[in-house]
Amino acid sequence: MPKLRIKVDPDLCIGAASCVTIAPETFQLNEENKAYVLDHGAEPTPRTYERIIEVTDAEKENMILAAQSCPTLAIFIFDENEKQLFPET
Amino acid sequence: MRYLILGGGIAGTSAAEELRKRDAAAEIAIVSEEQHPVYSRVLLPHYVKGKIPRERVFLKKETWYGEQNIEWLTGVRATNIDVKNQSVALSDGRELPYDKLLIATGGEIRTLPFERRGVAYLRTIDDTDHLLQLLGERTGGERGGVYGGGFIACEFVNAFAHHSLPTKIAFRGPHFWSNLFDEQMGALVNDRMRSQGVEVLPGTLISDELFADCSIVGIGIGIEPDFSILKDAGIEIGGGVKTNEFLETNAPNVWAAGDIAEYFDTIVGRHLLVGNWMNAQMQGRAVAANMAGEKKPFQLVSSYATNILGLEIIFVGDVNRQAAEDVVVHGSAAAGGVTQMFLRNGKIVGAAIVGRNMDRAPITKAIQTQSGPPTLA
Repeated sequence: MPKLRIKVDPDLCIGAASCVTIAPETFQLNEENKAYVLDHGAEPTPRTYERIIEVTDAEKENMILAAQSCPTLAIFIFDENEKQLFPET
Repeated sequence: MRYLILGGGIAGTSAAEELRKRDAAAEIAIVSEEQHPVYSRVLLPHYVKGKIPRERVFLKKETWYGEQNIEWLTGVRATNIDVKNQSVALSDGRELPYDKLLIATGGEIRTLPFERRGVAYLRTIDDTDHLLQLLGERTGGERGGVYGGGFIACEFVNAFAHHSLPTKIAFRGPHFWSNLFDEQMGALVNDRMRSQGVEVLPGTLISDELFADCSIVGIGIGIEPDFSILKDAGIEIGGGVKTNEFLETNAPNVWAAGDIAEYFDTIVGRHLLVGNWMNAQMQGRAVAANMAGEKKPFQLVSSYATNILGLEIIFVGDVNRQAAEDVVVHGSAAAGGVTQMFLRNGKIVGAAIVGRNMDRAPITKAIQTQSGPPTLA
């Protein structure tokens, strides 16, 4: 399964929660109303804005959809070769 | 099949994108009054503060439309809709036939009834460029004025603070969102602004003299869609373009989505007019599915979040206080946060949250599951 690095820039995030609506297993909001990153609903390491997650192709597609939905483009997705999948550069 | 979309914002563009995914052969056209490719209005405040460069505001490149085989007509608007013969007349004189029509033209900002120098609005990227120009022209000693008591006024206050512009704000009511907030919530916002050095003038009507000492005046007094051609076409208008839960209007083969749509929300059981990003984008996708023939009701508990000088403000679901049968309040201004939950038939339908971010998740879930008000910490 592909591995993705998912990163939220908390300085850009305004807590619009589009990502939480689309991919709640990957994104939730913290006390500061910023999205943090989960691994399939769990937090194997302490709370973080960045995680490497193993995903299925369908999960990958949904994560990109969640990132696209962010009105401040605060979510960055990289593949195993550190190629930025979203936002497209 | 020929799809015609009026409005090139996030609702209209999301619909076009989804229609193309579903039908590679369909003709799709977007009629956009603005000259720019779709961009994020939510990013405009970040752009004003220099957090991102101008080009990062855009969500699509100009070449995207051609790549997707979407006809993109810019700088034009519809002047007449003929729902019987299924065609739309444009301001450049063209007539466009359609099989299915989407109205996603959003709202137009209310403007001041008089002219003055230094007035700024914050709806479009052109407005934002103008505001940045005004901020850049300062030579020192200027003051900023803000008129309004809603989301856009928050953004002006934050932007002026970021640019170290001493600010005076005035609004008609006793506090922000005077139809929605209670006194405690209103006090939280007024106190936050005053504690940060903002001069706050509640209960003040706009006049030319009010901001005589301000070189830049930000105006955020709401949006007002232009319904005239829609009414002439026989399309039912309430607070917005009325639709059912499938986002269909009363006219055959005409749909609506985004800020202009007053859709029937099956979760809260009444028509809602919602002006936020999440709603517009998700409705764009949902309306495309319905236009393509899938009969799927639009269901979303949408929300919007902002802050004023660091105080977090979140609206979830149906926040029309007048339409609520009961209001349950948690917290207090003294404790630093207040949440109002709106109830109908014993179920929670919406909430306004100030300074209590952690209430959002349980409230959203309770609205989605059509439950009573959740227990809050």
